Amino acid sequence: MRKLLVIAAGALLLTISLAWWFSGRQPKPVELIPTLTNQPEYCISCHADVPEISKSHPVKTFGCVSCHGGERLALNADLAHSTMRGGKNPSDLSVVEASCGGSNCHSGSEAGNNDHIQRVITSIQSTYAGAIANVRFTFGAQTDMTAHFGITAITNAQTQSDITSLAAFDPASESNPSIQKFGANCLNCHINATPREGDVYARQTGCAACHATGKHTLTTAMPYTQCNSCHNRGNYDLRTMTFVERADHPTSRLQDYYQPIAQFTKCEYTLDCVDCHTRTEAMGDGNIHSNKKDIQYIQCKTCHGTPTELPLTKTLTDPNDIAFKLAFLNPVVDLRLGDTILVTEKGEPLWNTSVQPDGTYTMIGKATQQHFTFKPVMGSSCTQNGQDQSSAYCHECHSVQR
Amino acid sequence: MPEISRRDFLKLTRDGFLYLSGALALGGLLRFLSYQTEPTPQTEFDLGQAVDFPLNSRTLLADIPAVLLHTESGFSALSLVCTHLGCTVEQKTDGFTCPCHGSRFTSDGKVTHGPAAKPLRALRVEVTDQDTLKLFTA
Repeated sequence: MRKLLVIAAGALLLTISLAWWFSGRQPKPVELIPTLTNQPEYCISCHADVPEISKSHPVKTFGCVSCHGGERLALNADLAHSTMRGGKNPSDLSVVEASCGGSNCHSGSEAGNNDHIQRVITSIQSTYAGAIANVRFTFGAQTDMTAHFGITAITNAQTQSDITSLAAFDPASESNPSIQKFGANCLNCHINATPREGDVYARQTGCAACHATGKHTLTTAMPYTQCNSCHNRGNYDLRTMTFVERADHPTSRLQDYYQPIAQFTKCEYTLDCVDCHTRTEAMGDGNIHSNKKDIQYIQCKTCHGTPTELPLTKTLTDPNDIAFKLAFLNPVVDLRLGDTILVTEKGEPLWNTSVQPDGTYTMIGKATQQHFTFKPVMGSSCTQNGQDQSSAYCHECHSVQR
Repeated sequence: MPEISRRDFLKLTRDGFLYLSGALALGGLLRFLSYQTEPTPQTEFDLGQAVDFPLNSRTLLADIPAVLLHTESGFSALSLVCTHLGCTVEQKTDGFTCPCHGSRFTSDGKVTHGPAAKPLRALRVEVTDQDTLKLFTA
């Protein structure tokens, strides 16, 4: 009996000691009350060292929970993380509306230039509709090149294109083995796909696929390497429906930017992709398209003009011009009212350019902050037909040898 | 040294365990009872003597954050919390600018440039009987 009492007392002591030990392991609670939510959260008790994600999303204002979800009052890691949206990536398109949406944030209006989510979800980079339509057409599963399928089913009643919806592409329901193989091997490049293994393919999904260039960092100044986690890494072989990695091992920007088979000019590898390609090209215009060519429209003439025409320009007179918003987000230029910049044929501002009094143009690299000066084609010895302006024509004379 | 009997040893051990358990449990109870909850955010601020804020002065109160204005019509204050998403706006020569999303406000808080749609919030300022100033954020 006495022995049992000793064992019971020992068990009691052990239980209480373990309770002390576990409670001592809990982090000391550090409270943050973000001004946006005005609700206390304890995430920074453990995550005080996480860097500010961007100047537009300060932790003091947003906190962690409004983007990431999670249990804001929990000090136990498993419980705190149990309801996080998208795991470590709240911008994954499956949860992006809850994380990044809202009319004041990224699912606002076209007029307010903050309808990012609607545009991205319908964009070619998200639907992969062009590749799917192309392959299905090639192997006889459809009779035209119009997109009928996307990675996920989407409907867009407000679309200004002919396509109002896409059904979800289901490779298993396809009868052609090549299309089935395409489904199994070739769906790594849309922005919601898990990337291929390897450092050169490393990226996240959703918005972060393009905008997250480091640990907990969002930027609009994406270097070409971010784009190259999908682009220029190799080719899909349509005979075997497999991805063939590029075989070279580039050590310089000149070698790395494009695949060995590519032709390109000096500006195409010294600039970053985002210096020329616009937000509409990259994130879509809110319409469903059947092909990349329907949305990608920047050509050499956008900046250089043709032998008979100067490039389009615009003098900034409206303080609410989108050019100022874009320059605010990535202040590599001090854009002011009265400045004249280049614009695309759709009126999108190339806000990192300026027209100089002597008729030349400048561009500041969005990611590199390098200063570039260039001239219009007009007045030069170029005799290229003004109608033939795809890059292949310009490469005839201006391609770089490597 | 006197030998301890097995019975006494077991008794001593049992009592030791029980006393230690009791002490730990009491410590836990005291720790639980003495837990300090986070104080409620302050909504009332003593700004000091009114004479310290001369006529036509604009005083930045970074900790609140607010700006105190002293004009011919008396004391007033503007919250420096941006009405778009809650960032703290910065004082410029011609008004206020939000460093997060670029909203701009005139020096009296009106919106001149979005995305903010509402003016900066006016805060209540009272002059006490002792000629000190109190600012209220709620």
